[in-house]
Amino acid sequence: MAYLCTRCKHSVEIDYEVMGIRCPYCGHRILIKERPTLIKKVEAV
Amino acid sequence: MIPVRCFTCGKVISSLWQDFEKRVAELEDPGKVLDDLGVERYCCRRMLLTHIKLLDTFAPYQ
Amino acid sequence: MDVEIIELSDDNARFVLTGVNPAIANGLRKSMLSEVPTMAIDYINIYDNTSVLFDEQIGLRMGLIPIITDLDSYVLSEDCDCNDEGCTKCQLTLTLSAEGPVMVYSGDIQSSDPNVSVADEKVPIVELKERQKLVLEAVAKLGTGRKHVKYQAGVACGYKNVPVITFQDTCDACGKCVDECPKEILRIDGDKVTVTDPLKCILCRLCVDACDIKAISLEEDDSSFIFTAESDGSYPAKELIVQSADTIIEKAKLLNEILESIE
Repeated sequence: MAYLCTRCKHSVEIDYEVMGIRCPYCGHRILIKERPTLIKKVEAV
Repeated sequence: MIPVRCFTCGKVISSLWQDFEKRVAELEDPGKVLDDLGVERYCCRRMLLTHIKLLDTFAPYQ
Repeated sequence: MDVEIIELSDDNARFVLTGVNPAIANGLRKSMLSEVPTMAIDYINIYDNTSVLFDEQIGLRMGLIPIITDLDSYVLSEDCDCNDEGCTKCQLTLTLSAEGPVMVYSGDIQSSDPNVSVADEKVPIVELKERQKLVLEAVAKLGTGRKHVKYQAGVACGYKNVPVITFQDTCDACGKCVDECPKEILRIDGDKVTVTDPLKCILCRLCVDACDIKAISLEEDDSSFIFTAESDGSYPAKELIVQSADTIIEKAKLLNEILESIE
């Protein structure tokens, strides 16, 4: 699952069991989950 | 964003919003603008009168 | 049954219906609100949405946009030969793609059928800022107001009885009722009071209460109705009323068939 670092804007693959929630490039601890590329069906209600 | 329709009666009011907003900003009387736009019922009038634009407040945090 | 049209425009109609009982009038009103098939977006497939609104909010906004309904080329998905699988007879595909900074309007929606498009092109869907994107595909179907409000073509359809205001001979034209009337439809004419436009009366009875000598009586005519019907744009107002009457006729026919089959 790809995440996006809010500071360096790098797309990161993380293994939280080894290093916790942390960007491997800049060490920032706030990551955003990226929108998956699949098509999402939403009911118009 | 302004709701597409009036919550109570279902009249499409969002298409009048930009006109309403612009004219009120030019210090026209909101009530008179609504009369002019043909918004008769008070359910539809409150939709435009009480709407608060939040989109610009959210935008920077996207 | 007699119909007298007071006002008729594309999205608004006012008429007086006389010589019917309240059941028929109410049937017509309910039919306008919940029985006329109307086109509306059923679901959307979102390819990309980086706008400030959630996908579901976009979905709701898309659903409420009125779409011009063409009953000649579309049928209700329940009645379609394709068994609700979705074909060109019961479904309309629309696409929308926009990139910021721009205000996305309902007019930007591209319809796959050149004869059918959105009824109101100025409905704002979402404002896109720099680098925000919205790409989606919408599927519109016919439905009735009974199912969801988005399928409700009639907006604020209702009626009231025609008021009958009568003045007794004891009226001394004191003018108290004239001052009291909020709609200003009473006028002193010599030594008596006359009603200028009885259709404007809102049956508030303020004039009856204001009269000290009880010379005014206000009654409702049980067999005539002042109808107001407004369309959201999916039909012209006239079409909406005709269509609602047609649905009642169709339902009555169906009932008749069922009753005959029992015998």
